[in-house]
Amino acid sequence: MSRVRYGMLIDLRRCTGCNACAVACKAENAVPLGRWRGWVKVVEKGVYPHASRSFLPAICNNCENPICVRNCPTQATYAREDGIVMVDPHRCIGCKYCIASCPYDVRYLSPFKKIVQKCLWCNHRVDAGLLPACVQTCPTGAMTFGDVNNPISEISRLLASNPVQVLKPEKDTRPHVFYIAADMVAMRTMGTPWEGKE
Amino acid sequence: MEEGVQVFYNVFHEPPLGVPIAIYFYMTGLSAGSFILSTMAYGFGMIKYKPIGKIGVVLAILLLVMAPLSLIIDLGQPLRFWHLLLYLQPTSPITWGSFLLTIYPLNCLIYGSFMFAGNARMTRLFGLIGIPLALSVHGYTGFIMALGKARALWNTALMPTYFLVSAMVSGIALMIIIVIIQGLVFSKEHKVNRDLAFNLGRMLSMTILLDLFLVFSDVILLLTADTDAREAAYMLLTGSFSTYFVLIEIIMGALFPVALLMAPFTNKRLVPVAIAAFLAMVGVMAMRYVLVIGGQALPLS
Repeated sequence: MSRVRYGMLIDLRRCTGCNACAVACKAENAVPLGRWRGWVKVVEKGVYPHASRSFLPAICNNCENPICVRNCPTQATYAREDGIVMVDPHRCIGCKYCIASCPYDVRYLSPFKKIVQKCLWCNHRVDAGLLPACVQTCPTGAMTFGDVNNPISEISRLLASNPVQVLKPEKDTRPHVFYIAADMVAMRTMGTPWEGKE
Repeated sequence: MEEGVQVFYNVFHEPPLGVPIAIYFYMTGLSAGSFILSTMAYGFGMIKYKPIGKIGVVLAILLLVMAPLSLIIDLGQPLRFWHLLLYLQPTSPITWGSFLLTIYPLNCLIYGSFMFAGNARMTRLFGLIGIPLALSVHGYTGFIMALGKARALWNTALMPTYFLVSAMVSGIALMIIIVIIQGLVFSKEHKVNRDLAFNLGRMLSMTILLDLFLVFSDVILLLTADTDAREAAYMLLTGSFSTYFVLIEIIMGALFPVALLMAPFTNKRLVPVAIAAFLAMVGVMAMRYVLVIGGQALPLS
């Protein structure tokens, strides 16, 4: 039996874009105003009557080959045995190089603690046998969390029986957030750059 | 963006690295450039560069004392800076830098003190030891950019070389200005060492040309590599950073100085050479700004 390796699968055929996951995350982790550990990107394409709206819940991919861990100069960011990429709040010096290196823009500097924070897949809940807050909250059951190394876990069965995608596989980060039915335009990086608004 | 596609909602976090980081890169570059020029006389025995040997090492030390300060004030937790020396991550270029930024100024101090004491042999020894250190202390900053893999503008193998060449541009330009000021203000007969200034001017023009070649290669590859890279190239050429890149870095900071330094009617006059040196220094600062700030301007999510 190999080690536990957590992963997350988001079935976008079920996602209604209700943002409950983002709200649950904010409440669970006391995420500061203007920062997000997870959010739902919304993209529309086409012209009526041939138009559709796609959602893409974005959170830390807790990569198997994380650039942030490689680049952190103090090993404040490290990967747990089970794959969750952590930030040691006492060791982080706030150099922000991990934020600059992350291809998914899922890290931020806490304006209060002045250290880097990110989605930890609610490791405090997972260690207590609970699901991450976003997965627990999702009203349509679009999010599945579990051990991808266990062949009979729900996530393993869904991964094996569906066409799945990850974000930016070309970066060789080996992300562990998988998507079913993600739209091409939603997965692409786009939109207006940050404009200095808090 | 293609017809009919609209982003309704998305999150962008604040660009993490700010102007202090660009200034830090600029100062380490100036320091490395000054140091290498200083060793031309005291390390390699090129007598004509002797007048800039001492001032070169003094500048190298001063700049390298100031440079890490701008790094530390940019930290979220400045008082935890010692974590850098205690908790190491061998794969992180910042860890390499923590040691280089400690060893290099020490070597500069030893080299400088032997120079001022007149011990030619030891000066030469520590000058030669210092050259790889000076190259590393600036080259590693190129790796900080290059290994910041998320950003299309940074993630290129050219980056460390590009940083080193631009460091030499700014270092030589600084030395030209120093030689002129030293001659006009501090020398007894108030005369500028014109041969040295013009010689450095020739060296500056060659280095700027090499720098331009690297920029050219970089932009050509960005235009053809992938979607993010092409976006980055258009941002530099026609987008929000074109003023800094095309106008200040390329035209004002490289092409115009090269013209001044190469044209037969200006390259033997002090004022055009001084202007060229000043503009080259401004151009290198613009390059650091464009890379650090512009590199983070494109959205990733």
